[in-house]
Amino acid sequence: MLSSFGITVSTISLLLSLSLLYLSYYDLKLSNNKISKKIYKFAFSQILFIFLSFVTLIIAYIISDFSLINVYENSHTTKPLFYKISGTWGNHEGSLLLWINILVLFSFLFLILNKDKNKNFKLYTIIFQNLLISAFLIFLLTNSNPFSSLYPIPTEGTGLNPILQDPALAIHPPLLYIGFVGSSIYFSIALAALITKVESKSLALTIKPWVSVSWTFQTLGILVGSIWAYYELGWGGFWFWDPVENSSLMPWFLMTALLHSVLVLERRIGLYSWVIILSILTFTMSVVGTFLVRSGILNSVHTFANDPSRGLFILSFLALMVFSSIFIFFKYAPVENKNYKIFSKESFILINNWFMVFFLAVVLIGTLYPVFLDTLTGQKISVGPPYYNFILAPFLLPLLFLMTSGPRHKWISSNVIGIFNIALFTSIILFFVIFLSINEGGLLLLLILLFSVYLITQTTFDFYETFKNKNINLSRIISHFGFGLLILSISLNQIFSVEKSFNAKLGDEKNFQNYTIKFKNLETFSKNNFKSVKGHFEIIDKKNITSQNLTPEIRVYNQPETITYEASINTKLFSDTYLTMSNISNTDIFNIKFHMKPFMNFIWFSVLLISFGGILQFLRFEKRV
Amino acid sequence: MKILSIIIILLFNNTISFSNENKKNEILKNLRCLVCQGQTISDSNSDFALTIKDVVDEKVNEGLSKKEIYSFLSDKYGDWILFNTPLKKNSYFLWFMPYILFILGGVFLYLVIKKRAQK
Repeated sequence: MLSSFGITVSTISLLLSLSLLYLSYYDLKLSNNKISKKIYKFAFSQILFIFLSFVTLIIAYIISDFSLINVYENSHTTKPLFYKISGTWGNHEGSLLLWINILVLFSFLFLILNKDKNKNFKLYTIIFQNLLISAFLIFLLTNSNPFSSLYPIPTEGTGLNPILQDPALAIHPPLLYIGFVGSSIYFSIALAALITKVESKSLALTIKPWVSVSWTFQTLGILVGSIWAYYELGWGGFWFWDPVENSSLMPWFLMTALLHSVLVLERRIGLYSWVIILSILTFTMSVVGTFLVRSGILNSVHTFANDPSRGLFILSFLALMVFSSIFIFFKYAPVENKNYKIFSKESFILINNWFMVFFLAVVLIGTLYPVFLDTLTGQKISVGPPYYNFILAPFLLPLLFLMTSGPRHKWISSNVIGIFNIALFTSIILFFVIFLSINEGGLLLLLILLFSVYLITQTTFDFYETFKNKNINLSRIISHFGFGLLILSISLNQIFSVEKSFNAKLGDEKNFQNYTIKFKNLETFSKNNFKSVKGHFEIIDKKNITSQNLTPEIRVYNQPETITYEASINTKLFSDTYLTMSNISNTDIFNIKFHMKPFMNFIWFSVLLISFGGILQFLRFEKRV
Repeated sequence: MKILSIIIILLFNNTISFSNENKKNEILKNLRCLVCQGQTISDSNSDFALTIKDVVDEKVNEGLSKKEIYSFLSDKYGDWILFNTPLKKNSYFLWFMPYILFILGGVFLYLVIKKRAQK
């Protein structure tokens, strides 16, 4: 029942998108100044129907309607209600439906929030949005239908991968999708602006709120994903330079570039074509990311489900999208008005873009090169964290420096002023304080420390100046401060982390450095959907004479049968104690992994600060309009 | 040249090994667990990972250098096992392209800014 209802509702959504395409195209030729009422009505029905289809799927999950293959394959009656709901987007088909829902929501918001904009500019944007919506709906209905039915109806489902049954992972996809899909709207706006020859200020003002919103959500999505990886994968790390993680980072670099260059465009100077190119590239990268994740051509720690036929569809779609964008770009690209001076703020923003595109290129090469090499020559190589650290880390130095001094330059033209100032002096002193408490770490790491401290001090000074001078951009200060803090915390985390892996039996005691770990007890118990072996450990820090109890678990889930290793983490303000255990097969020996992870809270907090800057940017914009 | 190489080592070798233990951990972190999905040997507890851990332990105790251990493993399992991609003919593109792109981007940017500054 729900299956055919779902299919009907999604098909109606597709028909509505096609009608919107026709109506908008027809409306272009009419001479009146306002968009026809009909388009608003259709857009409203479109969002209603697509939303209904999503709700239908959620209901199917809640009532465990196994007549839907999708529910059968990804759910189970014993699963807690919360994870039944979040399971809706914990798989490819469901997440695609979520993706389309957000796409439709954004188009609808664009339509109703931009009442005063040029009519044809709006109509073209709606046309491009609906082309995207239709393409994804066709993909959903023909290849990845979450409503496909199953007969005979099974009595029980196969369950959701237990590592996905997690609150962080329930909100991770929606956050990330708002980021990814948010970029579709400026993709469409950019193409529409080209065709209707919208002037630069108007383009900047139209794009800006969407860029800030998608950037903020992308940042938060990446943050939640890392937090999840940190406590759920149980490896003590939070970023593995894994292809799937890279896929979320690549559009982020471009969004960051766009966020900065839009500031230039807003002030009626240059960069028109560049902003258009960036907007097109950002959404392209989002689709590339989706392709990489869904096609399964990558070997990743986050590979949960994939299927080559999906990849083929997305790849064809991508090719079509890129070629038509290039065509539109070259057909309509305007002649730039050029009025620049070196050392002006624009140059700094362009340098930011240069770095962002470079970072993107490194991550893209690192992710795709092994795939190409394998396809072309059959040689398999791995590209891992050492590659990214080696290539990217040195470039953090100029980046941090430019983030410090760049924003202090005035618009249009100014001299190189006040690089050697009180902030630098303070940070050098602070740096030596840190330096004296560190006895290891290479020169590069120390320099990164120095420059991140400089960025932090300078932005703090800038923050005080905002009280005197109201014109300073607070969102910039907060995001840049957050970035400085992020790099500082990661570096300190690298330097001060303690890691120890050893084998132990119940009752054993392990001594190393300043720590003693006692394996005190072992209990087994079973819950609704898993059985668990829980170890009780006492960790004694001989230096500070403190002790803490940690209880890592080994869980055996029954539906589907999966073993997970639950880390036990004791979070304190400055440092996390992290313990995992795993059994060595056919013995009573356990492998214990102990980590002291300093500054983890600071890492999470600094990313929150970065995204908070994005929210402020958005609000600032709202106030001015 | 000698000074240059010292500077380069200082710049990039930020994980100077102080002991066999550190050396072993560093090696294990740079190895891929071939039977897992993208996991390192250090993070994995699969039988394969346990075997490799023993092998690395043995080789470190025999006094082999990091380089020798990496090449021993890649001879046996192929380069797929090495997360720190070795610089070879098939990885020149990977290692040099980013720098080339960075320089090209810089030159392009310089020309754009210079051209506009003159007007």
